[in-house]
Amino acid sequence: MLMSLFDRRYEAMLRPELEQLQLERLQALVARLHRNVRRYREKLAEVRVESLESVARLPFTTPEDVLASFPYGMFAFPLREVIRLHSTLGPEGKPLVIGHTRNDLAQWARLAARQLSAAGVTANDVIQISLGASTHPAASGYVLGAELIEASVIAEDPLHIDYQIAMLRNYRPTILITTPTNALDLGRILEQRRIDPQSLHLRTVLLSRPVSGEIREQLAAALFASVQCSFGLGEILDPGLCVECEAGAFHVHEDQFLAEVCEGELVITTLAREAMPLLRYRTRVSAALCRDQCRCGRSGVILCPGARRDRRFLVHETAFYEGQIAEVLGQTRAAGHRFQLEASQRRLQVAIEMSEDLFANTVSSAESPKQQVESEILVRLGIEADVSFVEPPR
Amino acid sequence: MLLQVKNLRCGYGNLEVVHGVSLHVCAGEIVGLLGANGAGKSSLLRAIAGLLPPWHGEVLVEGRPTQGQPPWRGVSNSLSLVPEGKMIFADMSVRENLLIGGYHNRDRDLQMEVVLERFPRLRERLHQLGGTLSGGEQQMLALGRALMARPRLLLLDEPSMGLAPRMVELVFTEILKMKDLGLTVLIVEQNALAALSIADRAYVMETGEILLEGEPAELRHNPEVKRAYLGKGGVETPDAYESV
Repeated sequence: MLMSLFDRRYEAMLRPELEQLQLERLQALVARLHRNVRRYREKLAEVRVESLESVARLPFTTPEDVLASFPYGMFAFPLREVIRLHSTLGPEGKPLVIGHTRNDLAQWARLAARQLSAAGVTANDVIQISLGASTHPAASGYVLGAELIEASVIAEDPLHIDYQIAMLRNYRPTILITTPTNALDLGRILEQRRIDPQSLHLRTVLLSRPVSGEIREQLAAALFASVQCSFGLGEILDPGLCVECEAGAFHVHEDQFLAEVCEGELVITTLAREAMPLLRYRTRVSAALCRDQCRCGRSGVILCPGARRDRRFLVHETAFYEGQIAEVLGQTRAAGHRFQLEASQRRLQVAIEMSEDLFANTVSSAESPKQQVESEILVRLGIEADVSFVEPPR
Repeated sequence: MLLQVKNLRCGYGNLEVVHGVSLHVCAGEIVGLLGANGAGKSSLLRAIAGLLPPWHGEVLVEGRPTQGQPPWRGVSNSLSLVPEGKMIFADMSVRENLLIGGYHNRDRDLQMEVVLERFPRLRERLHQLGGTLSGGEQQMLALGRALMARPRLLLLDEPSMGLAPRMVELVFTEILKMKDLGLTVLIVEQNALAALSIADRAYVMETGEILLEGEPAELRHNPEVKRAYLGKGGVETPDAYESV
């Protein structure tokens, strides 16, 4: 096949050459970390990387480590060299800061372009990005990549579905980059309003995270377009960790990242990142790696992402942790009460254990604390929640 | 990959100066090896050429290890070193210098024509003693002498050393032209700007380790390279920003 490789030299690199490159970059990374990042200095003092296999002897970096050096402690360069700051969700919903130098952004553009190319994007395409830019730093990655391919990006990201449909009709984008939830909403509303998806000009819908084959087929029919997914991680790159090829496999960009699976958990080493290099970062995501030859011609190892291993929930494409809910509850009458969460794709159910003081001094019924908690969760986290009160277990 | 170096360690006496270096050069590439004085660049180059025995690690030319072979074997392995400070034979004529370069080459008279075609200046000075040439001409002679062996991989050690800026430009233009001849070049340089102007990729070496690898455009924008080799920006440590 070998048709849509944006960066053929690296994407289809033969295994021995790739391993040579990885060894070189790993050695240089360890030397840089040892010199430039205090957190790694002692850990790496006596370390020698003799071969790629010796990566197994290098220390891990956990999300908690990154959090402990919040905000800039993991940076390998002074802040004046960092030209972009993104934040991503860390342990228990605390933010982590990811910095990029000029070279990092240029590389991000190339990696995003690899994914876009695999989705068939060329300079002739018009791209609509409906990710909700404020919550999705991924949007800026796609913009960088699209600019490199010279595709036209619509620099508008309306939240309301009506405006999104209007854009699909007016601008006639051929590529839609969006979240699975939003894509499903779009499909449903098109059907409700009896808008023929064929009247739109969509060719490919690129989803921000992997979905099941069933949903893929459903979306392909509802939007009359082929559906591709991307998989990324905020702390590493999203998009840009791997590329979903035409055959539906996620190939890790192994010229940039060293992927391992330790005790079932995906562990990533950034081989060439300047501002914030991470050595053996424990991603808290279950995964499997597979070295099968892929018919797309890419040589990068195939990643099969699984579930998250920390208690991170996803409701309406917004990720959050239980700790964040506890924090919000702390601002309400329900402060200090035990609660249980149940998250589905669209709604969050919060069951709070009742106590006498919860309703003390409230003239009205249970309605008032319920409303207070619900609106507080919506305002602070942007999540619609159903709050109920339950009897504490005896 | 024409040249592959894997985790190479070497040094002198008890002193290790290259601490586990890996690099590669693909056929047809010009690759720069940048770094300050004493970074271990020349030692690494000597080890690749077989002049310095590696303590550990491997050097592979076209996938074949060169370990345990005498340095002269390297020449017939299509690898030529142009040493630092040119090292031409001052008391020999330009012609004799060139002939020595092609000592193992049966068609050396033919090759001499090719070399003189490349460097017309050398033809003009063919019977002059090497020591009477100007610095730039001597560098051309050293290059020409290396070409006499018809190498596939040319190892250049500090070709800009001791040359006037204008001469550096000329020599580097010649090196760039060698790429068109199908030659592959690994060039060691302190003059980072000059090397980055002709290289396809480059490595940055400091105290016996490689710190960075990348294309010239990336390296030019790398804050560390800017500070240490291109003389831009002040010295700052990231620790100043650490929040702990």
